Amino acid sequence: MRNDKILLCLACVLCFLGLVAIYSVDPAREAGWSMQSFFGRQFFWNVFGWSLFIFFALIDYRVLVKLGWLWYFLLLLALGAVLVFGESDETGARRWIFSQSVQPSEFAKIILPLFLSFYLSKNRENIPSYALLLKSGFWVFLPVGLIFLEPDLGTSLVLLVVWLGMLFISGFGRNHFALVGLGLGGIGAVGWSFLKDYQKERLFTFLDPWKDPLGSGYNVLQSQIAIGAGGLGGQGWLSGKQSQLRFLPARHTDFIFASWCEQMGFLGGVALILLLGFFIWIMIRIARHAPDLEGKLLASLFGVIFVFQVLVNVGMNMGVMPVTGIPLPFVSYGGSALVVNVAIVGLLYNIANSGRKKVAKCRFRWDYQQ
Amino acid sequence: MIWDEKISEEIQHRLTVFGWICFLIFTLLVVRLWYLSVFQEEWYKEKSERNWLRIIPLQALRGSIYDRYGKVLAEDLPRFRLVLLEGSMDVKEAQRKVKEILGEEIGFQVKDMSPGEKVLIEDLPLEKVIKIEERREELPGILVESYSHRFYPAEEVLAHVIGYVGRITAEELKNLSSSGYEVWDTVGKGGIELFYESLLRGEKGYRKVGVDALGRVRSVLEHSPARLRNSLVLTVDLEFQEYCYHLLQGKRGTIIVGRPTGEILVLASQPSFDPNTLSGGLTTQEWSRLVQSEKRPFTNRATQALYPPGSIFKLVVALAGLEEKVISARTSFSCPGFLEYSGKRYYCWNRAGHGSVNVERALAHSCNVFFYNVALALGPEKIVQYAQKFGLGTPSGLDIPGEKASLLPTPLWKRQNQREMWYPGDTLNLAIGQGYLLMTPFEVYRLLCGVATRGKIYRPHFLQAVLNREGKLIREVTPVLEREVNLRGETWDLLLKGMELVVTQGTGYACRDVPVNIAAKTGTAQNPHGKDHSWFGGFFPVDQPRVVFLVMLENSGDGSGEAAHAARRLIDWFLKYRGLTDEER
Repeated sequence: MRNDKILLCLACVLCFLGLVAIYSVDPAREAGWSMQSFFGRQFFWNVFGWSLFIFFALIDYRVLVKLGWLWYFLLLLALGAVLVFGESDETGARRWIFSQSVQPSEFAKIILPLFLSFYLSKNRENIPSYALLLKSGFWVFLPVGLIFLEPDLGTSLVLLVVWLGMLFISGFGRNHFALVGLGLGGIGAVGWSFLKDYQKERLFTFLDPWKDPLGSGYNVLQSQIAIGAGGLGGQGWLSGKQSQLRFLPARHTDFIFASWCEQMGFLGGVALILLLGFFIWIMIRIARHAPDLEGKLLASLFGVIFVFQVLVNVGMNMGVMPVTGIPLPFVSYGGSALVVNVAIVGLLYNIANSGRKKVAKCRFRWDYQQ
Repeated sequence: MIWDEKISEEIQHRLTVFGWICFLIFTLLVVRLWYLSVFQEEWYKEKSERNWLRIIPLQALRGSIYDRYGKVLAEDLPRFRLVLLEGSMDVKEAQRKVKEILGEEIGFQVKDMSPGEKVLIEDLPLEKVIKIEERREELPGILVESYSHRFYPAEEVLAHVIGYVGRITAEELKNLSSSGYEVWDTVGKGGIELFYESLLRGEKGYRKVGVDALGRVRSVLEHSPARLRNSLVLTVDLEFQEYCYHLLQGKRGTIIVGRPTGEILVLASQPSFDPNTLSGGLTTQEWSRLVQSEKRPFTNRATQALYPPGSIFKLVVALAGLEEKVISARTSFSCPGFLEYSGKRYYCWNRAGHGSVNVERALAHSCNVFFYNVALALGPEKIVQYAQKFGLGTPSGLDIPGEKASLLPTPLWKRQNQREMWYPGDTLNLAIGQGYLLMTPFEVYRLLCGVATRGKIYRPHFLQAVLNREGKLIREVTPVLEREVNLRGETWDLLLKGMELVVTQGTGYACRDVPVNIAAKTGTAQNPHGKDHSWFGGFFPVDQPRVVFLVMLENSGDGSGEAAHAARRLIDWFLKYRGLTDEER
C-alpha cells in the first residue's frame, strides 16, 4: 500500500480507538450520542476534523507554507488574545478562548512547523549557520514564551522540541547544538524561577511520587497502579477498577493510556504503542519521499511533534516522565488537539501524494532545467 | 540547486538517525509497559485493591434481655454515625463541609474507629442523615454508617441488675483477645451484661465492598451479616420492679423480692444511674461526677453495701438458742427495760420494759433483753456458726458480679483484726445485730429465704432461660439446692410463729390485715452515719411461702415505720396484680 493510504488508515484506526477509550471511561456515558457526553463531543470533533482533513489534503501544502508569516502572526495574535481575554481552567492556567472551546496553543503545533519549514526553505543558503540558528530561535521563542506564560509548560516544551528537531533534521552540527544547549541551560535556570509552584511540584513528584501519594504524587501513582493492575490481558472493556471507580484522574484526557491499559492489558497497550510507532514510521517515510525541502521539513517536524507527545504522554502514564499535560495524539479527549492532529494528517497526506505524483514530473523538470 | 541536493542528502541521513531514535523510544516504552503490567502486576493489583476494596466490620449484635413476661430490658437498636474514610479528606476540611451542609453548630466527637475510619459524629438524627445523603457528591469519603446501640428501656430502674456496656478497655482486651475481641468492640461492664457476656455476645459480620474514589459504596462483593447468638430471659418482674423502685424514691435503700427457691423478682437499689448514658459514651467529667458523687449511685445497695442488720439478726440468735436447747418454748425472761451485766446496764429499745417474754413474744416485740440472755448463754461462736449454716459470710453465687460477703465477728476475728479481746458487751451487740456485725441486704434476704423453706438454701439467680437466635428455648434454669440447714421441726415452728406474731401483734403492725399470713421481722440498726437504718423483711404465706421480701432504707428510723410501710405497699401491689395462685401466668 502506498504511504498516503496507510497513513489515512492508521489515523482513522487511532481516532476510532480514541472514541472507544473515551467511551469506556466517560463519566457522562448515559447521555449517549449527544454533546453532553465526552465521546459524543469527541465524535463531533472527529467529524469536524475530518472535514478539515479534506481541505488540507486537497490544497497544495506549498501554498500554505508560502503563507508562513501570515500563520505566524495569526498565532501570535491568538496567543496574545489568550493572555488578555483568556479563560482559566480548573488548574488556574489561562489556556482557552471562546468559552473554553478553543485552545490556541494547540494550533501552534501545526503553525510552528509550517512557519519553520517556510523560514528555513527561504533561507536554505544559510543552513547551517549561527545567524540562522539565532534568527529562527528568536521566532520560535516568541510563541513559546507566550504559551509558557499562560502557563502551559507541556505545549511550550513541545514547540521547543520542534525547533530542536528542525535544527537536527536540517543538518545543524555539534557546535550549533552545544551553543543551543548552553543557551537553553541559561534560560532554564532563569525560567525555573518563573515556574509556578505546582509545576515545580510536578517535576519533583516525578522523581519520587511516594513522597506525597495523596497529593501531588497521586496522579502518577494511580496511573501506574491502573496499568499494573491491568496485567497481561486487562480487566476487560468497561471494567477497570481504577478508571471505573474514578481513582484515576484525568482518565479521558492525560491518563487515557493508563485506563486503556487497565482495561486491555499489556497486549492492548502494546498494540496501541505499535500503532503509534507505525504511524510515525510512515511519517518519516513520507518525509524521505517528499519532493522538496518544504515537504521534507514539514513532514519530519510533524514526526518530531508526534514522537515527543507520545513519549511524554505514555511516559508520564507509566511514571517515567513528569506530568506535563500533553495529550496522547488522536486518543486523548480534546477538540482542539484532535482537529489539529487530523489537519496534520491532511497535510502529510498532501505531501505524500504530491511526492508520489510529482517524482516523475520533477525529474522531468529538473532535466529540463539542467 | 547544489544547495538543495546537499541539504537533501543531509536530511535523508538525519531522518534515518531520527528513525532509529524513534525505534529506541518505542522499544523503551514497550519494555516499561511490560515491566508495569506483567512483571509488577501482582504488586499493582494489590495497590489497586487497597484503593477500591474495603472490608467493613459489622458490629456483632448483642443478645436482648427480657423480663419474665417478655418485656424488653436491654436490646440493640440501630443508630447512625458519620464516618470519614481516612486519606480521602483532611479531618478539619471534612468538619467544615459537614457543618456547612447541616448548617448549625455540630458537636464533633472525632475518634478512631476500625482501621482506616474516623468517626465524626455519633448518633446522627435521621433528618440529618437525609441531609447528608442528599448532598453526597460534595462529601467524598464521608459515609453514613449504621451501628447498633444498646438501649435500656427501664433506664435507671434496673440499672444495678442489668449493668451496661461500653468500649472494651486495654486491660479487658488483654484478657479477652484470645476469644476474638477487638479494640472497637463493646463488652458488658456490669450486672447481667458482664456476667453473661459470653452468652450475650453475638457473632461479628463483615461486608466486603467496592468503593469509588468518592468513598461511595458501588458494589457489595461479600456480605456476612452480624448475628446475635442468644437472648436471655430473667426472673425479674419489670412492672413489680418499677413499683418497688418508686417506693424507694427520694431515699437510699434497697428492696429485694423473690421466691424462696432462688428466683429473684425484684432487686431495686436507690439512688441509681441511667445505663443508657453510660453505653452512649460519657465524657470524663460526667463520669467522675457520677463516680465521686456522695450518693454513690453505682453501688448496688443490695449486694455491695454492708450494714448492721439490727434486730433482723435476732432470727439467727433465736434459731441457735432453740436448736442448742438453751431456750425452749416455755423459757421466758423478764425484761425491765435493761439487762445488768457485770455492773453495766444494757438497755432494751423499750426503756419501759416488755415484762416477762417468751421466744415468740420476744421476736414479736423485738425484745433486746431476751436475746441478750440467749446470746450470753450461747456465746458468739455458736451464733456465728448458725449464721454460717445459712451460707452467710460467703458470696451466694448470685449471677451478677461484685457481690460482697457479710462480716460475722467472733473473738478470734476480733483478736486478729482489731487486736483487742472480745468483751461480753460484744456478744450482747451481736445478739441484736449491732456492733461489728455487718451484712449485705442480700444476705439478710437469703437468711429469710432459708427460714421460709425451713432450711433449704437454694442458689439465688436472675437468669431464667436462654433463647437461641430463633427465640427457641435452649436452656432453662431450675432451682439448685445449695445447702440444707437441718434443724428440729419444733425450732422452725416456734420461729415462724414468732415471725407471724411480729405482724399480728408486734412491731410489724403496718402489715396487719393483709388477706394472707405473713411472717416478718423488723430491724432498726443504729449506725454512726445518722438516723437508724430501717429494715423489714419476711415472707408469705406462712404455711407455704411463695414470696420472700426485704426492705432496707438507710437512715429512715424505726424498722416498724418506713420500711414496714413500704413492705405493706409492695405486698398489697403483689396480691392485687399478681396474686398467689395465678401469678405464674
